[in-house]
Amino acid sequence: MHRVYEDGGREIVLTIFRHNPNDEDSIPHFQDYPIIERPGMTLYIALTQIYTSMDHDVSFDFVCRAGICGSCAMVVNGKPRLACRTLTSEFSEGKITLLPLPTFQHIKDLSVDTGTFMNAMTKRVEGWIVNNSPQDISTIEKPIDPELSDEIFELDRCIECGICLASCATKVMRPNFVGAVGLNRVARFSLDPHDSRSDEEFYELIGDDDGIFGCMSFMGCQDHCPKHLPLQKQIAYMRNKMVKVR
Amino acid sequence: MKIIYSDALIVGGGLAGLRSAIATKEKGLDTIVISMVPVKRSHSVAAQGGMQAALANSVMGEGDNEDVHFADTVKGSDWGCDQEVARMFVATAPKAIRELANWGVPWSRISAGERTVIMNGQKEIIQESQDAHGLINARDFGGTKKWRTCYTSDATGHTMLYAVANEALRRNVIIHDRKEAISIIHDEKKAIGVIARDLVNGELIAYVAKGTMIATGGYGRIYKQSTNAIICKGIGTAIALETGIATLGNMEAVQFHPTPIVPSAILLTEGCRGDGGVLRDKDGYRFMPDYEPEKKELASRDVVSRRMIQHIRAGKGVPSPYGEHLWLDISILGRKHIEKNLRDVQDIAKTFNGIDPADEGSKGWMPVLPMQHYSMGGVRTKPTGESTTLDGLFAAGEAACWDLHGFNRLGGNSVSEAVVSGMIVGEHFATYCKERNLNANTSVISKFMQKQSDYLNEILAYNGKENIFDIKDEMRSIMQEEVGIFRNEEGLQRAVKRLEELLIMTKQINVKSKIRGNNPELNEAYRVPKMLKIALCVAKGALERRESRGAHYREDYIKRDDLNWLKRTITRWEAPEATTPTISYEELDIAKMELPPAFRGYGRKDSIIEHPQSMERTQEIEAFKATHPDMDRFELQEQLMPFELPLDYKKKNQRIGAEYA
Amino acid sequence: MQKNHLIELLTQKDNRKKKSKIPARLDFLQSATGAVLVLFIMFHLLFESSILLGKDAMYALTKAFELDFVFKGGEPLFIAFLAFGVFVVFILHALLAMRKFPSSYREYSAYRLHAKMIQHEDTSLWFIQITTGFMMFFLGSIHLYTMMTQPDKIGPFASADRIYSDTMWPMYLLLLVSVVLHASVGLYRLIIKWGWFEREKSKWMIKAATIFYLGIGLVSLGVYMKIGYEHRGEYGKRYTVEANK
Ligand SMILES: Cc1cc2nc3c(=O)[nH]c(=O)nc-3n(C[C@H](O)[C@H](O)[C@H](O)COP(=O)(O)OP(=O)(O)OC[C@H]3O[C@@H](n4cnc5c(N)ncnc54)[C@H](O)[C@@H]3O)c2cc1C
Ligand code: HEM
Ligand code: SF4
Ligand code: FES
Repeated sequence: MHRVYEDGGREIVLTIFRHNPNDEDSIPHFQDYPIIERPGMTLYIALTQIYTSMDHDVSFDFVCRAGICGSCAMVVNGKPRLACRTLTSEFSEGKITLLPLPTFQHIKDLSVDTGTFMNAMTKRVEGWIVNNSPQDISTIEKPIDPELSDEIFELDRCIECGICLASCATKVMRPNFVGAVGLNRVARFSLDPHDSRSDEEFYELIGDDDGIFGCMSFMGCQDHCPKHLPLQKQIAYMRNKMVKVR
Repeated sequence: MKIIYSDALIVGGGLAGLRSAIATKEKGLDTIVISMVPVKRSHSVAAQGGMQAALANSVMGEGDNEDVHFADTVKGSDWGCDQEVARMFVATAPKAIRELANWGVPWSRISAGERTVIMNGQKEIIQESQDAHGLINARDFGGTKKWRTCYTSDATGHTMLYAVANEALRRNVIIHDRKEAISIIHDEKKAIGVIARDLVNGELIAYVAKGTMIATGGYGRIYKQSTNAIICKGIGTAIALETGIATLGNMEAVQFHPTPIVPSAILLTEGCRGDGGVLRDKDGYRFMPDYEPEKKELASRDVVSRRMIQHIRAGKGVPSPYGEHLWLDISILGRKHIEKNLRDVQDIAKTFNGIDPADEGSKGWMPVLPMQHYSMGGVRTKPTGESTTLDGLFAAGEAACWDLHGFNRLGGNSVSEAVVSGMIVGEHFATYCKERNLNANTSVISKFMQKQSDYLNEILAYNGKENIFDIKDEMRSIMQEEVGIFRNEEGLQRAVKRLEELLIMTKQINVKSKIRGNNPELNEAYRVPKMLKIALCVAKGALERRESRGAHYREDYIKRDDLNWLKRTITRWEAPEATTPTISYEELDIAKMELPPAFRGYGRKDSIIEHPQSMERTQEIEAFKATHPDMDRFELQEQLMPFELPLDYKKKNQRIGAEYA
Repeated sequence: MQKNHLIELLTQKDNRKKKSKIPARLDFLQSATGAVLVLFIMFHLLFESSILLGKDAMYALTKAFELDFVFKGGEPLFIAFLAFGVFVVFILHALLAMRKFPSSYREYSAYRLHAKMIQHEDTSLWFIQITTGFMMFFLGSIHLYTMMTQPDKIGPFASADRIYSDTMWPMYLLLLVSVVLHASVGLYRLIIKWGWFEREKSKWMIKAATIFYLGIGLVSLGVYMKIGYEHRGEYGKRYTVEANK
């Protein structure tokens, strides 16, 4: 009734970047792993298979394996993407080269440290609700326009995977650039009626060349974001707002 | 020796851990959260469907309040829960959701006016009032009388976790990620921290604090097929067990979710059925109404899962290269609804199966099969969240057996529990830490440090023939087959025996790379024995419990046996070299229950062995109500089963129409 | 005043602990100057291709720019003024845009390696933008300098002589390609940067415009070459409407 179960069985080769920066003896190199493709095989399945049956020493990060948690971003044949959402059948040549995500601290092999950056980013853009009026949580909540709430949700969907940064030439050149993830975060809070901050206050957070004015519109973020967030629109929106601040 | 001191140490950065950290920060305590992964990757992020709280904003929630939520929860638990805890929970949940709104969770909101919904496979029109416009919306979920599950599309856990994590960062909670707790430091009387391993470089660190909280989530990954993230290995629960002092509760209570997608085991939210999706068999026939005429697809999860397996056993499963499955059909909800409210579901089906569930007819049906989903069991605690047996050790969230869920938790009640317990238990934990001085004996710390260091070296020195990956696979298969949805004496005995053997075999392995640093195989080598201990607790608990209750279903004892089994299973690991846990029981006192055991309203009616006290208590309550007609519901409740809450959490919750009544 | 500067030097904030608004102004000016130049070049190229309609048309247009409807015979100084104005905007734009140039080999190579890895159109386009920008720094300056110093030497023959007999054509060819590509990419960037129009559609339209401008530019350059070749014997002789009859 359904074409759910496509054929498999061909041999594919995963070429993986291997290096442990914490080990002085480790030399960066690429290693090939030929495996048999199975129907519906994702890179999560393929890498797990390599790890459990071929090489117990390869490191990579998967958590949810469902494209929700943002752990598994890596560079797949040149493109930063979520490995758990990548089917091996997409690559008709059967050759898949995997690199760790650039612009983040490298941990080992395909594993990078996104947590430290993202927490620092959150603090840098003060990515939280600021509201100093007292709130009684036993009373009825503040009504919010349903459409506005949906709009905020759209921007809240960012999973901090880091792909926008790894796809961004500005970030690659200028490590202090806050990136789409941070700018989108600010746009999200500036929309939120719970947040009392003014544009002037947001300017203090991103009004410089490491912030909103650093973006050179390469659109790597927009074109690779696995959540398809409207990053271009949001960055433009913030830029228009920020140049108007006196 | 690297020692890091703090006032309050929280192991686990999911909703429960982070919300607790906010509570301790609120009291001015230095708080450290350690987590295996960056906290926003915690498994809470994966919750899709929603969070239960009786707000009663929508017409479909009209008349909802704490009492209704309480009754649903107790029934859902198959009377296995601690009713006092359930009361604490339902009174706080509406506050939790409103607090989260203030912290930025973009809850779906109600639009006044007409709205089309699908109920029972039929389109119906409901009318939302003007007063409700802009207030938090709710959807229908299994096992609930009212529409009570608040949501943000189908990424509820994500928005909740981000809001709580951002708030924690705002309050300068210190977060150390990629640190795995592998042992709890204690001086036989109280817990004073953990030994953690830095997963980047392998370094051991002693985190020492006035109080320690375990908020490490569930242990679903001991099963072969589970919706849980691959970090849900129960390590936090295991290290509590390994103290030999702290105990675990109801470990055999493992929930299976009816609709993960086949074969990737990714969950399709309960919201699919809540919003009106239906289950179909190989003939495209909607079979649930035959089994559960009243609640149909929306009976509680344990019931639906069993009915599905039963139906497959009756030869109605759809054959596939991955075994038999059934279909979940949401195409009847219409493309517009799916693309707005069930977008992640659509995305999962498209990405992993190449199916667009919005396609009409059988083309859009998604293959589903019940799989492990939630761990009701965990570190046994008092209602304050403190371990019943080890001072200074607290537990919250899925890792705890606080005991809100008994033998089956309701969908939407667990993210809710995670946050609410973060508020309540977090507050008790904060008070505990505030009132104590840090008097950690360095010799105790170094003893624990040495022990772990020696243990890791010992593992690296093993020189056997076994392979840790094979052991793990076998454990997961055994759990799946013998300790799954249907259980019986023989299978469980086999399981316990083999799991014990596997535990012994974990010392007969040979880890290839001998470095103590970043060595994935070494991680496996010390985690699998811990997982096996948890698996043994589950299997042995299931073997001993000769009745069926909630998610625990014994084919050879199909009745819920209130007469003999109205009790909580308590497991303890007596000695480090033991190969099975010791089991004891904690009685549940019917005389104190606000809602004495009865029929749940779904499942089989004739399958209860009643306890005579149930009837007595029911009559007692009826009589009390009859003699106090002037009491309002709060006063009555207080008389029947008093409970306490910290801060203002006991304040009455305001609702539209009802105000504070 | 002095002290305020020191505060800014030390804290990157002014004396009210506020962030400087200069980056906002610079960003805006960079786009504004870019936009002015794009507009200018769009018309400039159209006017310059008036040669395709014949020498008379081009001559008339030149004279119109010399305001011959006000001053008898036209006043080339106006062209010089115009050129000077453009030169100022041009320099200003170049200065502002230079802030974004790769400022070290590390930055440059990081960009190149990244672009090579990711194979992403919008990212690669920037390479065109910086190389053409860099080239125009010289080519554009030369051209604008000529226009400012010899504003009188514009016309069907004068221009053709410069292009052919003075062997300026390689410079013009490069300048033409540079300016069209740079302006196209720049305009596209403006659109997405400020969110003016929908991205995919804009990209498509700009691609069409690029082809159009490169087309008319190259063909008119060819026409000037032809005129210059035929006119090589009379190098220096100016065009008059009557003489051509
Ligand atoms: C797919 C899916 C969908 C769900 N949908 C819903 C839903 O719609 N509604 C609902 O109510 N519930 C849902 N649940 C259940 C709910 O998400 C969880 O029960 C809840 O989020 C658990 O929160 P927690 O804070 O206790 O644990 P988690 O969020 O699991 O956090 C555990 C934390 O502990 C850390 N940790 C673990 N072990 C260690 C260690 N040894 N050392 C250090 N750190 C450690 C982890 O890194 C993590 O930070 C769903 C669950 C799944 C699997
Ligand atoms: C000396 C000559 C020039 C140099 C060195 C130069 C350089 C640059 C550079 C490097 C950029 C990219 C800036 C960024 O990425 O943010 C840029 C942008 C731009 N340039 Fe130029 N350019 C020159 C001349 C011109 C000319 C003649 C035009 C018009 C025809 C023009 C139009 C633009 C536009 C519209 C932009 C986009 C502005 C923005 O992004 O804000 N430039 N220029
Ligand atoms: S904006 Fe998109 S690419 Fe960037 S971190 Fe968020 S989800 Fe990832
Ligand atoms: S593992 Fe969570 S997004 Fe891939």
